[in-house]
Amino acid sequence: MLAASLALNGLVMGSVLLLFSLGLTLIYGVGRIVNFAHGAFFSLGAMAGIWAANSGLPFWAALIVAPLGVGLLGVLLDWAVFARIRDRPMVDSLLLTFGLALFITGVLYEFGGRNVQILAIPPSLQGIVSLGAIKLPVYRVFLSALAILLTVALLLFLKNSDWGLRVRAANDDPEMGACLGIDRENLMHSVVGVSAALAAISGVVGAPIFTAYASVGDKILILAFMTVILGGLGSLRGAIVAAYVVGLITVFGEGYFGGQLALMLLFVLVMAMLINWPRGFFGEGRTE
Amino acid sequence: MSDHTATMPMHAAADRRMKGLALLVAAAAGASVPLWTGNVPFVLILASQAVIAAIVALSLDLLMGSTGLLSFGHAAWYGFGAYLTGLAAKMLTPEMLLLLPLTVAVTILLSAIIGFVLVRQIGKTFAILTLALGQIMFALVFVMSGITGGEDGLQGIPVPTALGFQIAKPAVWYWLLYGILLASLAGAFHIRRSPLGKSWLAIRENTERARFIGLDTGTLKLLSYVVSASLAALAGGLFALFNGAASPDMLNWFESGKVLMYVVLGGVGTIIGPVIGAAVFTVTEHYVSSVTNSWLIYFGGFFVLIVIVAPGGLFGAGASLWARITTARRGASA
Repeated sequence: MLAASLALNGLVMGSVLLLFSLGLTLIYGVGRIVNFAHGAFFSLGAMAGIWAANSGLPFWAALIVAPLGVGLLGVLLDWAVFARIRDRPMVDSLLLTFGLALFITGVLYEFGGRNVQILAIPPSLQGIVSLGAIKLPVYRVFLSALAILLTVALLLFLKNSDWGLRVRAANDDPEMGACLGIDRENLMHSVVGVSAALAAISGVVGAPIFTAYASVGDKILILAFMTVILGGLGSLRGAIVAAYVVGLITVFGEGYFGGQLALMLLFVLVMAMLINWPRGFFGEGRTE
Repeated sequence: MSDHTATMPMHAAADRRMKGLALLVAAAAGASVPLWTGNVPFVLILASQAVIAAIVALSLDLLMGSTGLLSFGHAAWYGFGAYLTGLAAKMLTPEMLLLLPLTVAVTILLSAIIGFVLVRQIGKTFAILTLALGQIMFALVFVMSGITGGEDGLQGIPVPTALGFQIAKPAVWYWLLYGILLASLAGAFHIRRSPLGKSWLAIRENTERARFIGLDTGTLKLLSYVVSASLAALAGGLFALFNGAASPDMLNWFESGKVLMYVVLGGVGTIIGPVIGAAVFTVTEHYVSSVTNSWLIYFGGFFVLIVIVAPGGLFGAGASLWARITTARRGASA
């Protein structure tokens, strides 16, 4: 019984992780940036949910406003900051995004991020659904459904839209893409914006479960890093499979051994996997 | 042109003599700190912390500056050393000359095992995995909170002894730490000039070519990782004994970022740069955080700024400025 309930919760966790990691994969695919500030965008989303609740706005408003705001911030950051280090070695992008993560966390501390707060679940999503003998809060079902919906929407958009075509081209070969007339600057602005918006929306919907404080994104960032490495850096379908694997491992580990031990278990598994498959599940990750 | 090349060696020799002299003066100035801070013990403690930070920065530069492997979890080894030394001091013996070699030996063994998997990864994957390693060590403190004290940290580490004599006076501590820093610096410079150091640099510049000319890049990288981890653990052990306590904050990823900041601020691969960076940074951090609460904002913002405007670090920027001035002067005199 416990196992079945953990499995369901693992799927919920996996869905959130998926939504969050997709942004990480996108930004890496197009800009070759491993974004350490992605967790800070998550925290920003979570805190935005709290700010909205405190100022009397409904949950739904926060769900729309936060990703828009953080997405715009992402575009601005790319234009003002990331663009300065476009052709520098990868070390610089790691350091830069790390500094940015600290900066955003520092700012959040100033705006109520020192205390752990929980975002209230809207009344329409309270209650429990029963699947046979297993009970699951409605909110968690909503959370997974939303995450999966957004993921599918993004994947379809990537596959069918003009923007998606450009993103995929830049992902496969940035230089060739540029030769074919893809404006790398504008494309990168939009990709960072979308990526930040995805992180923010996971932060808002995650806030009732993972709580909200200035560094709430740190833990999920580590999990997301494990996800993208397991799936192979830059591989979208790898990230999808890996998100659920990591989600299940984390939740089962927490259920049976406690949270911190689960993290260690995950790390050992990832290390073990990297010995044989350094390019992730589908062998299409980049190792440069 | 021919005139220029003929005078080069003379200039190089003069430069080297100048640099040697400058280093000697700096070393002597550092050693004299306890003499003029006698009536303000706090400054001496801050200076000791700066020296420990300098050793950690040096250890990271041995990895990052030599082989180009970017470790985002160097605090893992720093904290590991602190906890291991602290626990051994509480359970076994307060004898420093046994404790520190024990810590280094255990770290060598453990970092060799973990490093074996890590150094097969390059670039981003390596950075991410070292970050994860840091988080694991952090988690370990809480998993084993029965013996590590969990959130409260490891308290009550006894005053250490060396050959039976208790080491408690701040001035003695400072000179001990400073001596270890100078010894590590000398070691680092020696390695840099040795064939080993040259092969490390070859790996940093171009791993493929290094492999083609017959270097065993995997083993060399592992060696660099182990040396770096051991020195960081030694610094951690010294901190635990000096401070009488170790806290889980030492393993936080913020701490790793701070060490990285020392190195970047000072200039990656310059050996002396990160040491200066660490000292400057520790002192600045203390005074800035006593004025303002939002230290993280300034820290993060400054970090971003440094990466954008001075990728070679302040030391690198200073060195290139110095080079420009001296060449300009030489050009004018010639």
